[in-house]
Amino acid sequence: MANLPILRYPHPVLKKVCHRVESIDTTILRLIDDLLDTMHAGLGSVGVAAPQIGVTLRVCVVDVSASRHGKDNNHGLLCMINPEIVAREGAAIMREGCMSVPDYTGDVERATGITVRFSGPDGSSQEITAVGFEAVAIQHEMDHLDGVLFLDRIVSIKTGLFRRKNYA
Amino acid sequence: MTHQPETLHYAVSVVGKDRTGIVAGIAEVLFRLGCNIADSSCSMLAGEFAMILIVSHPRPFSKSKLHDELKPVCDNMGMSLAVRTLHVDEVARQETSDEICIISVYGADQPGIVYRVTRELAALGVNIMDLNTKLIGTPEEPVYVMMLEAAIPEGQTPEGLEALLGDLKKELNVEIGVRIVTPVAF
Repeated sequence: MANLPILRYPHPVLKKVCHRVESIDTTILRLIDDLLDTMHAGLGSVGVAAPQIGVTLRVCVVDVSASRHGKDNNHGLLCMINPEIVAREGAAIMREGCMSVPDYTGDVERATGITVRFSGPDGSSQEITAVGFEAVAIQHEMDHLDGVLFLDRIVSIKTGLFRRKNYA
Repeated sequence: MTHQPETLHYAVSVVGKDRTGIVAGIAEVLFRLGCNIADSSCSMLAGEFAMILIVSHPRPFSKSKLHDELKPVCDNMGMSLAVRTLHVDEVARQETSDEICIISVYGADQPGIVYRVTRELAALGVNIMDLNTKLIGTPEEPVYVMMLEAAIPEGQTPEGLEALLGDLKKELNVEIGVRIVTPVAF
Protein backbone atom coordinates (compact mmCIF):
# COMPACT_ATOMS: atom_id res chain seq x y z
CA MET A 1 0.00 0.00 0.00
CA ALA A 2 1.29 3.42 -0.82
CA ASN A 3 0.21 6.98 -1.14
CA LEU A 4 1.47 7.72 -4.62
CA PRO A 5 2.05 11.07 -6.28
CA ILE A 6 -0.80 12.16 -8.57
CA LEU A 7 0.47 12.46 -12.13
CA ARG A 8 -0.11 15.82 -13.73
CA TYR A 9 -0.81 16.73 -17.32
CA PRO A 10 1.20 16.62 -19.65
CA HIS A 11 2.10 13.16 -18.37
CA PRO A 12 1.24 10.98 -21.39
CA VAL A 13 -0.54 8.30 -19.32
CA LEU A 14 -3.34 10.79 -18.61
CA LYS A 15 -4.32 10.83 -22.28
CA LYS A 16 -4.31 7.04 -22.73
CA VAL A 17 -7.37 4.84 -23.09
CA CYS A 18 -7.01 2.32 -20.27
CA HIS A 19 -7.21 -1.45 -20.66
CA ARG A 20 -10.01 -3.57 -19.25
CA VAL A 21 -9.15 -5.64 -16.21
CA GLU A 22 -9.32 -9.28 -17.30
CA SER A 23 -9.03 -10.92 -13.91
CA ILE A 24 -9.08 -9.55 -10.40
CA ASP A 25 -5.83 -10.77 -8.87
CA THR A 26 -3.51 -9.46 -6.16
CA THR A 27 -2.11 -6.84 -8.55
CA ILE A 28 -5.56 -5.35 -8.93
CA LEU A 29 -6.26 -5.50 -5.21
CA ARG A 30 -2.95 -3.78 -4.53
CA LEU A 31 -3.82 -1.15 -7.13
CA ILE A 32 -7.12 -0.48 -5.35
CA ASP A 33 -5.27 -0.12 -2.03
CA ASP A 34 -2.88 2.35 -3.65
CA LEU A 35 -5.79 4.33 -5.12
CA LEU A 36 -7.50 4.47 -1.72
CA ASP A 37 -4.32 5.54 0.07
CA THR A 38 -3.70 8.20 -2.53
CA MET A 39 -7.30 9.43 -2.34
CA HIS A 40 -7.22 9.58 1.45
CA ALA A 41 -3.90 11.46 1.39
CA GLY A 42 -5.28 14.11 -0.97
CA LEU A 43 -6.83 17.09 0.75
CA GLY A 44 -10.56 16.69 0.22
CA SER A 45 -10.08 14.30 -2.67
CA VAL A 46 -13.27 12.46 -3.63
CA GLY A 47 -11.82 10.11 -6.21
CA VAL A 48 -8.75 8.82 -7.98
CA ALA A 49 -8.46 6.89 -11.23
CA ALA A 50 -5.70 4.39 -11.98
CA PRO A 51 -4.03 6.46 -14.75
CA GLN A 52 -3.59 9.30 -12.25
CA ILE A 53 -1.08 7.07 -10.47
CA GLY A 54 0.39 5.78 -13.71
CA VAL A 55 -1.59 2.58 -14.24
CA THR A 56 -3.50 2.22 -17.51
CA LEU A 57 -6.21 -0.07 -16.19
CA ARG A 58 -9.95 0.61 -15.92
CA VAL A 59 -10.08 1.00 -12.16
CA CYS A 60 -11.13 3.98 -10.07
CA VAL A 61 -12.25 4.78 -6.55
CA VAL A 62 -14.84 7.37 -5.53
CA ASP A 63 -16.06 8.45 -2.11
CA VAL A 64 -18.03 11.67 -1.79
CA SER A 65 -19.44 10.87 1.66
CA ALA A 66 -17.10 13.30 3.43
CA SER A 67 -17.59 16.11 0.92
CA ARG A 68 -20.01 18.96 1.60
CA HIS A 69 -21.55 18.49 -1.86
CA GLY A 70 -22.08 14.77 -1.61
CA LYS A 71 -22.48 13.93 2.05
CA ASP A 72 -26.28 13.68 1.97
CA ASN A 73 -26.60 11.48 -1.08
CA ASN A 74 -23.99 8.84 -1.81
CA HIS A 75 -23.06 5.18 -1.85
CA GLY A 76 -20.07 5.58 0.46
CA LEU A 77 -16.84 4.13 -0.82
CA LEU A 78 -17.00 2.81 -4.38
CA CYS A 79 -14.16 0.69 -5.78
CA MET A 80 -14.98 0.25 -9.43
CA ILE A 81 -13.36 -2.18 -11.85
CA ASN A 82 -14.31 -1.90 -15.53
CA PRO A 83 -17.10 0.60 -14.80
CA GLU A 84 -19.64 1.29 -17.54
CA ILE A 85 -22.40 3.86 -17.60
CA VAL A 86 -25.52 2.01 -18.75
CA ALA A 87 -27.99 4.87 -18.33
CA ARG A 88 -27.80 8.60 -17.89
CA GLU A 89 -30.30 11.37 -17.43
CA GLY A 90 -30.42 15.12 -17.09
CA ALA A 91 -27.61 17.57 -17.54
CA ALA A 92 -26.13 20.24 -15.35
CA ILE A 93 -23.06 22.39 -15.45
CA MET A 94 -20.63 22.28 -12.61
CA ARG A 95 -17.29 24.01 -12.33
CA GLU A 96 -14.68 21.30 -12.01
CA GLY A 97 -11.06 21.02 -11.10
CA CYS A 98 -8.69 18.07 -11.15
CA MET A 99 -5.61 17.13 -9.16
CA SER A 100 -3.95 16.21 -12.46
CA VAL A 101 -4.52 19.72 -13.83
CA PRO A 102 -3.86 22.05 -10.91
CA ASP A 103 -4.26 25.83 -11.36
CA TYR A 104 -7.28 25.55 -13.59
CA THR A 105 -11.01 25.06 -13.23
CA GLY A 106 -13.78 25.15 -15.76
CA ASP A 107 -17.48 24.64 -16.28
CA VAL A 108 -18.31 21.12 -17.41
CA GLU A 109 -21.68 19.68 -18.34
CA ARG A 110 -22.43 16.25 -16.90
CA ALA A 111 -25.44 13.97 -16.56
CA THR A 112 -27.22 14.60 -13.27
CA GLY A 113 -28.06 10.94 -12.81
CA ILE A 114 -26.25 7.82 -13.99
CA THR A 115 -26.56 4.08 -13.63
CA VAL A 116 -23.14 2.45 -13.47
CA ARG A 117 -22.31 -1.23 -13.78
CA PHE A 118 -18.95 -2.42 -12.52
CA SER A 119 -17.12 -5.23 -10.77
CA GLY A 120 -16.27 -4.86 -7.11
CA PRO A 121 -12.92 -5.94 -5.64
CA ASP A 122 -14.56 -9.28 -4.71
CA GLY A 123 -15.47 -9.86 -8.34
CA SER A 124 -19.17 -9.34 -7.79
CA SER A 125 -21.10 -7.54 -10.51
CA GLN A 126 -22.68 -4.38 -9.11
CA GLU A 127 -25.04 -1.76 -10.41
CA ILE A 128 -25.78 1.55 -8.73
CA THR A 129 -27.71 4.66 -9.62
CA ALA A 130 -25.93 7.81 -8.54
CA VAL A 131 -27.24 11.35 -8.67
CA GLY A 132 -25.91 14.86 -8.19
CA PHE A 133 -22.36 15.36 -7.01
CA GLU A 134 -21.63 11.65 -6.74
CA ALA A 135 -22.74 11.17 -10.35
CA VAL A 136 -20.44 14.00 -11.46
CA ALA A 137 -17.51 12.57 -9.49
CA ILE A 138 -17.99 9.13 -11.06
CA GLN A 139 -18.21 10.61 -14.57
CA HIS A 140 -15.05 12.65 -13.94
CA GLU A 141 -13.10 9.62 -12.71
CA MET A 142 -14.43 7.39 -15.49
CA ASP A 143 -13.32 9.98 -18.05
CA HIS A 144 -9.76 9.43 -16.84
CA LEU A 145 -10.09 5.79 -17.92
CA ASP A 146 -10.64 7.03 -21.49
CA GLY A 147 -7.86 9.61 -21.40
CA VAL A 148 -10.39 12.42 -21.20
CA LEU A 149 -9.65 15.40 -18.97
CA PHE A 150 -12.20 17.98 -17.84
CA LEU A 151 -10.35 20.39 -20.15
CA ASP A 152 -11.80 18.34 -23.00
CA ARG A 153 -15.31 19.08 -21.76
CA ILE A 154 -15.19 22.73 -20.72
CA VAL A 155 -18.26 24.63 -21.91
CA SER A 156 -17.47 28.08 -20.55
CA ILE A 157 -14.25 30.05 -20.63
CA LYS A 158 -14.80 31.87 -17.40
CA THR A 159 -11.97 30.26 -15.56
CA GLY A 160 -10.81 30.10 -12.02
CA LEU A 161 -7.80 32.27 -11.43
CA PHE A 162 -6.65 30.78 -8.20
CA ARG A 163 -5.24 27.35 -7.58
CA ARG A 164 -7.62 25.41 -5.38
CA LYS A 165 -6.23 24.83 -1.92
CA ASN A 166 -8.28 21.63 -1.85
CA TYR A 167 -11.18 20.02 -3.61
CA ALA A 168 -13.39 19.51 -0.56
CA MET B 1 -26.28 46.89 -27.07
CA THR B 2 -29.14 48.79 -28.72
CA HIS B 3 -28.23 51.33 -31.29
CA GLN B 4 -29.59 54.80 -30.57
CA PRO B 5 -28.51 57.39 -33.13
CA GLU B 6 -28.53 60.29 -30.67
CA THR B 7 -26.31 58.47 -28.20
CA LEU B 8 -22.55 58.76 -28.14
CA HIS B 9 -20.44 55.67 -27.47
CA TYR B 10 -16.91 55.38 -26.20
CA ALA B 11 -14.55 52.50 -25.64
CA VAL B 12 -12.76 52.90 -22.31
CA SER B 13 -9.90 50.70 -21.22
CA VAL B 14 -8.26 50.82 -17.84
CA VAL B 15 -5.35 48.57 -16.84
CA GLY B 16 -3.18 48.46 -13.76
CA LYS B 17 -2.03 46.58 -10.71
CA ASP B 18 -4.95 44.88 -9.01
CA ARG B 19 -6.35 46.26 -5.78
CA THR B 20 -9.78 46.60 -4.24
CA GLY B 21 -11.97 49.45 -5.41
CA ILE B 22 -10.90 49.79 -9.03
CA VAL B 23 -14.30 49.01 -10.50
CA ALA B 24 -16.05 51.14 -7.89
CA GLY B 25 -13.66 54.06 -8.59
CA ILE B 26 -14.30 53.98 -12.34
CA ALA B 27 -18.01 53.25 -12.01
CA GLU B 28 -18.42 56.18 -9.61
CA VAL B 29 -17.06 58.65 -12.18
CA LEU B 30 -19.24 57.19 -14.93
CA PHE B 31 -22.30 57.30 -12.70
CA ARG B 32 -21.60 60.94 -11.76
CA LEU B 33 -21.27 61.86 -15.44
CA GLY B 34 -24.54 60.12 -16.31
CA CYS B 35 -22.81 57.52 -18.49
CA ASN B 36 -24.21 54.05 -19.09
CA ILE B 37 -21.92 51.05 -18.96
CA ALA B 38 -23.16 48.93 -21.84
CA ASP B 39 -21.00 45.91 -22.63
CA SER B 40 -18.01 45.39 -20.42
CA SER B 41 -15.43 42.78 -19.65
CA CYS B 42 -13.13 43.07 -16.68
CA SER B 43 -10.64 40.46 -15.63
CA MET B 44 -7.73 39.87 -13.40
CA LEU B 45 -4.76 38.65 -15.43
CA ALA B 46 -1.84 37.60 -13.27
CA GLY B 47 -1.72 40.54 -10.85
CA GLU B 48 -3.16 43.08 -13.27
CA PHE B 49 -6.78 44.15 -13.46
CA ALA B 50 -7.97 45.01 -16.94
CA MET B 51 -11.25 46.74 -17.73
CA ILE B 52 -12.77 47.23 -21.14
CA LEU B 53 -16.04 49.13 -21.14
CA ILE B 54 -18.35 50.35 -23.84
CA VAL B 55 -19.79 53.50 -22.36
CA SER B 56 -22.69 55.51 -23.74
CA HIS B 57 -23.90 59.01 -23.00
CA PRO B 58 -26.70 61.15 -24.41
CA ARG B 59 -25.59 64.29 -26.16
CA PRO B 60 -24.14 66.77 -25.46
CA PHE B 61 -20.97 65.16 -24.27
CA SER B 62 -17.37 64.86 -25.35
CA LYS B 63 -14.53 62.38 -25.29
CA SER B 64 -12.26 64.92 -23.62
CA LYS B 65 -14.78 65.46 -20.83
CA LEU B 66 -14.93 61.69 -20.22
CA HIS B 67 -11.14 61.40 -20.34
CA ASP B 68 -10.54 64.40 -18.06
CA GLU B 69 -12.93 63.09 -15.43
CA LEU B 70 -11.52 59.55 -15.45
CA LYS B 71 -7.84 60.57 -15.60
CA PRO B 72 -7.33 61.75 -11.98
CA VAL B 73 -9.07 58.64 -10.62
CA CYS B 74 -6.88 56.37 -12.78
CA ASP B 75 -3.72 58.29 -11.86
CA ASN B 76 -4.63 57.99 -8.22
CA MET B 77 -4.94 54.19 -8.56
CA GLY B 78 -1.90 53.84 -10.82
CA MET B 79 -3.97 52.69 -13.79
CA SER B 80 -3.46 53.45 -17.47
CA LEU B 81 -6.42 54.94 -19.34
CA ALA B 82 -7.48 55.00 -22.97
CA VAL B 83 -10.70 56.42 -24.38
CA ARG B 84 -11.85 56.09 -27.97
CA THR B 85 -14.98 57.45 -29.62
CA LEU B 86 -16.96 54.76 -31.42
CA HIS B 87 -18.55 55.28 -34.79
CA VAL B 88 -22.29 54.56 -35.01
CA ASP B 89 -21.56 51.47 -37.18
CA GLU B 90 -19.36 50.03 -34.47
CA VAL B 91 -22.09 49.95 -31.86
CA ALA B 92 -24.80 48.33 -33.96
CA ARG B 93 -25.99 45.07 -32.46
CA GLN B 94 -24.09 42.12 -33.87
CA GLU B 95 -26.33 39.22 -34.75
CA THR B 96 -25.46 35.72 -35.74
CA SER B 97 -27.18 32.47 -36.47
CA ASP B 98 -23.85 30.67 -36.51
CA GLU B 99 -23.17 27.89 -34.07
CA ILE B 100 -21.16 29.08 -31.11
CA CYS B 101 -18.36 26.78 -30.06
CA ILE B 102 -15.81 26.48 -27.35
CA ILE B 103 -12.47 25.53 -28.83
CA SER B 104 -10.01 24.22 -26.28
CA VAL B 105 -6.32 24.05 -27.03
CA TYR B 106 -3.76 22.81 -24.55
CA GLY B 107 -0.35 21.22 -24.46
CA ALA B 108 3.31 21.71 -23.64
CA ASP B 109 4.10 25.43 -23.79
CA GLN B 110 5.88 26.58 -26.95
CA PRO B 111 6.09 29.77 -28.95
CA GLY B 112 3.34 30.35 -31.49
CA ILE B 113 0.37 28.39 -30.12
CA VAL B 114 -1.94 31.42 -30.18
CA TYR B 115 -0.66 32.60 -33.56
CA ARG B 116 -0.77 29.25 -35.35
CA VAL B 117 -4.20 28.28 -34.07
CA THR B 118 -5.86 31.67 -34.62
CA ARG B 119 -4.34 32.03 -38.08
CA GLU B 120 -5.85 28.67 -39.02
CA LEU B 121 -9.21 29.65 -37.55
CA ALA B 122 -9.19 32.97 -39.42
CA ALA B 123 -8.47 31.14 -42.68
CA LEU B 124 -11.43 28.85 -41.98
CA GLY B 125 -13.73 31.82 -41.41
CA VAL B 126 -14.12 31.18 -37.70
CA ASN B 127 -14.82 34.39 -35.79
CA ILE B 128 -13.34 34.54 -32.29
CA MET B 129 -15.68 36.14 -29.77
CA ASP B 130 -13.77 35.52 -26.60
CA LEU B 131 -10.35 34.12 -25.85
CA ASN B 132 -8.32 33.54 -22.78
CA THR B 133 -5.02 31.88 -22.19
CA LYS B 134 -3.21 30.76 -19.11
CA LEU B 135 0.23 29.39 -18.50
CA ILE B 136 0.04 26.59 -15.94
CA GLY B 137 2.16 23.61 -14.96
CA THR B 138 5.64 23.86 -13.51
CA PRO B 139 8.72 25.81 -14.65
CA GLU B 140 10.20 22.47 -15.78
CA GLU B 141 7.06 21.43 -17.62
CA PRO B 142 5.03 24.50 -18.55
CA VAL B 143 1.59 23.86 -20.01
CA TYR B 144 -0.32 26.35 -22.10
CA VAL B 145 -4.12 26.43 -22.00
CA MET B 146 -6.11 28.48 -24.50
CA MET B 147 -9.90 28.61 -24.52
CA LEU B 148 -11.76 30.32 -27.32
CA GLU B 149 -15.41 31.03 -27.84
CA ALA B 150 -16.08 31.38 -31.52
CA ALA B 151 -18.79 31.47 -34.16
CA ILE B 152 -18.27 28.86 -36.83
CA PRO B 153 -19.44 29.49 -40.38
CA GLU B 154 -22.73 28.07 -41.61
CA GLY B 155 -22.40 24.48 -42.77
CA GLN B 156 -19.38 23.87 -40.58
CA THR B 157 -19.68 21.30 -37.79
CA PRO B 158 -17.54 20.95 -34.65
CA GLU B 159 -16.38 17.56 -35.91
CA GLY B 160 -15.51 19.04 -39.29
CA LEU B 161 -13.61 21.91 -37.71
CA GLU B 162 -11.77 19.52 -35.41
CA ALA B 163 -10.76 17.45 -38.44
CA LEU B 164 -9.54 20.55 -40.29
CA LEU B 165 -7.38 21.41 -37.28
CA GLY B 166 -6.01 17.85 -37.14
CA ASP B 167 -2.75 18.57 -38.97
CA LEU B 168 -1.98 21.57 -36.78
CA LYS B 169 -2.80 19.56 -33.69
CA LYS B 170 -0.30 16.92 -34.76
CA GLU B 171 2.36 19.46 -35.71
CA LEU B 172 2.15 21.40 -32.44
CA ASN B 173 1.51 18.24 -30.42
CA VAL B 174 -1.37 19.90 -28.57
CA GLU B 175 -4.91 18.81 -27.78
CA ILE B 176 -7.61 20.63 -29.74
CA GLY B 177 -11.29 20.09 -29.05
CA VAL B 178 -14.40 21.79 -30.43
CA ARG B 179 -17.76 21.72 -28.65
CA ILE B 180 -21.02 23.48 -29.40
CA VAL B 181 -22.25 25.82 -26.68
CA THR B 182 -24.88 27.68 -28.70
CA PRO B 183 -27.44 28.91 -26.18
CA VAL B 184 -30.89 27.35 -26.31
CA ALA B 185 -34.04 29.45 -26.28
CA PHE B 186 -37.04 28.47 -24.12
